[in-house]
Amino acid sequence: MPLPPRPHISLSALTVHHRKTLALDALTLDFERGVHGLLGPNGAGKTSLIRVLATVAPATAGRVEVLGHDLADRRALPAVRRRLGYLPQDFGFYPGFTVREFVAYVAWLKELSRETTGAAVERALERVGLGDRADARMKTLSGGMLRRAGIAQALVNEPDVLLLDEPTAGLDPEQRVEFRELLRDVGRDAAVLVSTHLVEDVAAACTEVTLLAEGRVAYRGTTEQLAALGADPAEAGDHPIERGYTAALRHHRATAPSAAGVTR
Amino acid sequence: MNIPAAHRGPQPWHLTDALVDGYATHSLAEPDAWSVETHVEVCGPCAARVSAAVRATDAGPLLAASRTALLGLCRTPAPHTGLPGLLPAPAARAELPGLPAPAPHTRRTSFLRSPASPTHRHRPWWSTGPALRGSWLASLLLLITAALALAYGTGVDVPRSALLALAPVLPVAAVAVSYGRGVDPLYEIAAASPRGGLRLLLTRTAVALAVCVPLLTVTGALLPAGQGGPAAAAWLLPGLALTLGTLALATVLDCRIAAAVTGTGWLLAVGLPALAARPPRDYAQAQASAHALTESLSRYVNGLGAQAGWALAAALCAGALALRRTAFDHAAFDHTTAHGPRA
Repeated sequence: MPLPPRPHISLSALTVHHRKTLALDALTLDFERGVHGLLGPNGAGKTSLIRVLATVAPATAGRVEVLGHDLADRRALPAVRRRLGYLPQDFGFYPGFTVREFVAYVAWLKELSRETTGAAVERALERVGLGDRADARMKTLSGGMLRRAGIAQALVNEPDVLLLDEPTAGLDPEQRVEFRELLRDVGRDAAVLVSTHLVEDVAAACTEVTLLAEGRVAYRGTTEQLAALGADPAEAGDHPIERGYTAALRHHRATAPSAAGVTR
Repeated sequence: MNIPAAHRGPQPWHLTDALVDGYATHSLAEPDAWSVETHVEVCGPCAARVSAAVRATDAGPLLAASRTALLGLCRTPAPHTGLPGLLPAPAARAELPGLPAPAPHTRRTSFLRSPASPTHRHRPWWSTGPALRGSWLASLLLLITAALALAYGTGVDVPRSALLALAPVLPVAAVAVSYGRGVDPLYEIAAASPRGGLRLLLTRTAVALAVCVPLLTVTGALLPAGQGGPAAAAWLLPGLALTLGTLALATVLDCRIAAAVTGTGWLLAVGLPALAARPPRDYAQAQASAHALTESLSRYVNGLGAQAGWALAAALCAGALALRRTAFDHAAFDHTTAHGPRA
């Protein structure tokens, strides 16, 4: 199947209001294939952006195109949703379900055919290393395993757009290394957006970084470019990416004509 | 090499326990290990002993994981290259997260599909959602049991009226527990799925109706009618209208609040006259209240006019739901995400 000729995700002047709060302020961005890190302080709009792209929250203004479909066109929503994988920041589950049933249920929600569901579920579980826990009940899983089950459900339809909101929360260091490997693998064919607080994840797995602050793009560049910003060891942070993050954010706040820190 | 030469002839010979343990714990000299391997290729019993010994070591869980991984591979849709095979344990562990993958855009049907996969077995229940797995089903069964027990245990003719007065509330309650951030743990994921939204809510409501309509109607028919009491099927149109009304209200309110509004409205309309007339203190008064309930219920459901009214109400609610269907396109506003500390 040929890839869509247009970018996987294209935003122009995307604005999102939550009641009186301005969550996203006229964002214009494209995301191609690859693994994209979404960084930013709390309240920067990372979750708001991911939820709009997941078709869960509507845009207040502006245009959002995912896989060539305008999300404002409600008839296009099912087609986009079929090709989408989404791990919410907090996700629930039916406690009585086994891990396999949980992922299979999402496969059903994603309209996978009956014939492909079984294999797709096993494969998603293998990819997150839960193959041996497929028959365990969800309520018996540890935090890290739950998170992996969440990642498995997001992968079950082999999405073209994968949206992960804080996916490494609760994973131990070894699992995070395996998870980054998985991200790179998925990112070869799909656009993967990872919102995270953990800069090491960005450094290791992402090809490109978008730093949001107060609903705007504070910085955009490759991981190497952000690390280069943090070359000055006097900057706050232990890791070049961390220092680059601080430097980019400080630069944005110094130059952007906005009420800094409104929603912190 | 400590395998006696006499043992390597054509005569039957089997691995000693020391050899088996040594092989499993990697403590054999290499030539001895090769001998063990050559032998287990042709000797089933010894192969089984070696397998058991290896599984009992630290490598056991990793081997089990490799096995699961391999079985998983056999079920994946696309043919693979670079099968990991039976790698030694440390390598198997390294292979697990990055198992060879079919290209994400291939959607081939699998050749080797396990027909009895558990995901297939549970499929019909998936669409039921939370209602049939939780307290809703328990309430339904409790109501039916209580009605039958009262009718045949006490001989009071209240149960049919009481059952029919309560019956329309059950599908309404099913709507309440079927959809929404507070009641469906998978709400956010479902909202991002093609089957989510109104479609899922309607599927779940339909399943709940398919379960409770026959059960309640048959139970109603089994109960003594009493004088002038409504027919067992009289609740169907009111039930449908109230359910559709709840769904229509759910386009502007949370499902639970919508259900509370319609359910309470119905119960008050039907039940208040019975309670207001004579608060029951003894058996005779209870009987009198029962008759008041029957009368009140009959007013709402008996006769062509009342039923036509409910049919019209159902049609109007269905129309309102159709007009407002876009309300389910996105998830309801989430306070915790928008204003929470981690937004």
